[in-house]
Amino acid sequence: MSTRVSFVMGVSSLLQRRCLWSSQWRVRNYSVRSAPLPPDLPLLAETARISLTPKEVEEFTPKIQQVINWFGQLQAVDLQSIEPALRADTEGDNLRNDVPETFENREAMLSAVPSFEEPYIKVPKVLNKE
Amino acid sequence: MASVLFRGIQTRPFLLYPSALLSRKNGVLFCTTKCSQSQTATQENQQTQMKVSPRTHTKKVEKILHDYEAIIGIETHVQLDTLTKAFCSCAYLYGSQPNTNVCPICMGLPGTLPVLNSKVIEFAVKVGLALNCNLSMNSKFDRKQYFYPDLPKGYQISQFDIPIATGGFIELDLPTEYGGGHRKFGITRVHMEEDAGKLLHSGNGSYSQVDLNRAGVPLLEIVSEPDIRSGLEAAEYAAEIQRLVRYLGVSNGNMQEGSLRCDVNVSVRPIGQLEYGTKVEIKNMNSFSAMNRAIDFEISRQVDLYSKGEDNQIIQETRLWEEGAQRTVTMRKKEGLADYRYFPEPDLPEVVLSEEYVDNIRASLLELPEVKRRRYERMGLSMQDVLFLTNDMNVADFFDATIERGAEVKMAANWIMSDIAAYLNNEKLSINEIKLTPQELAELISSIKGGTISGKIGKEILFELISNGGTVKALIEEKDLVQIVDPAEIEKMVDKVLIENPKQLQQYRGGKTKLQGFFAGQVMKLSKGKANPGLLNKILLEKLNAKG
Repeated sequence: MSTRVSFVMGVSSLLQRRCLWSSQWRVRNYSVRSAPLPPDLPLLAETARISLTPKEVEEFTPKIQQVINWFGQLQAVDLQSIEPALRADTEGDNLRNDVPETFENREAMLSAVPSFEEPYIKVPKVLNKE
Repeated sequence: MASVLFRGIQTRPFLLYPSALLSRKNGVLFCTTKCSQSQTATQENQQTQMKVSPRTHTKKVEKILHDYEAIIGIETHVQLDTLTKAFCSCAYLYGSQPNTNVCPICMGLPGTLPVLNSKVIEFAVKVGLALNCNLSMNSKFDRKQYFYPDLPKGYQISQFDIPIATGGFIELDLPTEYGGGHRKFGITRVHMEEDAGKLLHSGNGSYSQVDLNRAGVPLLEIVSEPDIRSGLEAAEYAAEIQRLVRYLGVSNGNMQEGSLRCDVNVSVRPIGQLEYGTKVEIKNMNSFSAMNRAIDFEISRQVDLYSKGEDNQIIQETRLWEEGAQRTVTMRKKEGLADYRYFPEPDLPEVVLSEEYVDNIRASLLELPEVKRRRYERMGLSMQDVLFLTNDMNVADFFDATIERGAEVKMAANWIMSDIAAYLNNEKLSINEIKLTPQELAELISSIKGGTISGKIGKEILFELISNGGTVKALIEEKDLVQIVDPAEIEKMVDKVLIENPKQLQQYRGGKTKLQGFFAGQVMKLSKGKANPGLLNKILLEKLNAKG
């Protein structure tokens, strides 16, 4: 009996792992209804590359909390039997033909680059992504 | 002692296979796409390979490997051959001066909006169908957000949870020199996204350089199921993806140019264990053979740690393949997993496919490599021939055209794989660039089969036809190449040769029977190569032994 259970557990965990293997994308699940988590402002600021003083962290946290809670009102809607819409627009596609066009004012763009060393854009040395 | 030949022409190393180590008796694979890599780099690679193989697996490791299985998955990025970028009308020309194929959209300047190139959808659907996937008739784009100097907008437009294609598979045949075998690997998903620019690190400086020409170029990301089990299978998988995108005409698939990039995930586990081992990502493999070697190295490294009870030292990380040292090394360790904060791209509408649209594309697909291989097999060709002929679509088309005109299958295959391939290799041409037509090849084959000309003469004519064109019939007439099959005529020539070489005749009759070859050569010379060899030798032998 227990071997059967553990076999089933093993197989299902295997299947779960197979699903998680390829990437971090998960099946969308809209049936969860819980209070929004309080914002971790230092983390948010870090991911947005914005520097905040401790005073600003203290000041902003409740304000951002309020914004989140305002959106959080949507949690009250029962979505159990609703098919998720991919997008909110109804306009249909907006496609372009595969025809090359040269942008006329390249010089203006490049001259606006803060640090340009012909022909490259000069940037600080960054080795790690994220 | 074994002569080491490439399974590919010298100047086209993107066809480099691990099979460079083994000799091939006949033929070399070749491809029509041009490559700019130099001869020496290729030879260097070959030498590295020859040095490496004996060292990669010690006897001890070999033994242990049998107790473990490797679980390998591959993420491939394919640069699409559209005329313009994914979201703007900039052209993309590989090799252009830096920052010349740019506009406000791909430079991520404020106020710009992306507009999707319709060709990108078409190519994505083609690939999805060719990989036997389920197409998402409705899909969307998402923003994948992170900061990096080569990413102008601060996010990459990609597809996160609703990719355009999912759940497919790809089939291939392993090369015969490695034992052959058929494989079927699952494809998890295919999605559309844009490429980032190029970041160059100046050697010593405190700064780097960015070229945005490549920013915004459309990519297809193809993710495989973790069905791959060895470095060889991985290399063949990547080669088949390359073959497929070339057959479909959606990409030139050149690893050297960066139009085909593979990242590999490798883990091992003791055979019988249900749980997966820790997964390690490997980057920086620039050829199929590098993929093969990198993966085999990584498998050995992990198995070695397992066998010493140190498998907890295998951590989920990204390692770089070092081509020089032939090993994987840790990249700088990252802290935690990246949080890309995916959300739907608000500036782009849904991607909607109609049944009609998909059906049209499905109908327009030409015969794909797997189907072609099975068809050639049914024609009676050996697997080695099949793999050779189907590797390059243009070669397969040439072969098909030749046999359509009545040429015998095996003979057509032989001519293409040996003499024609050798010429293409030497002259660094593709089969589309030679003057020989399938019609004339068929004509040549039937002329030889019918006895009009000898095989040897055939080879000479072939060379002429390839380099200068013309027709078989015209050449035969012009150069008076018709085979001599009249016994009386041959007799006359044999008599003449025997009379003119009394010394050798005496030697032959005295026991030096090897001189038959000498006489045969003289008769051939006299007949200007036109004497039918079989008849010649028959008559010669009769005459030589007659008075004895």
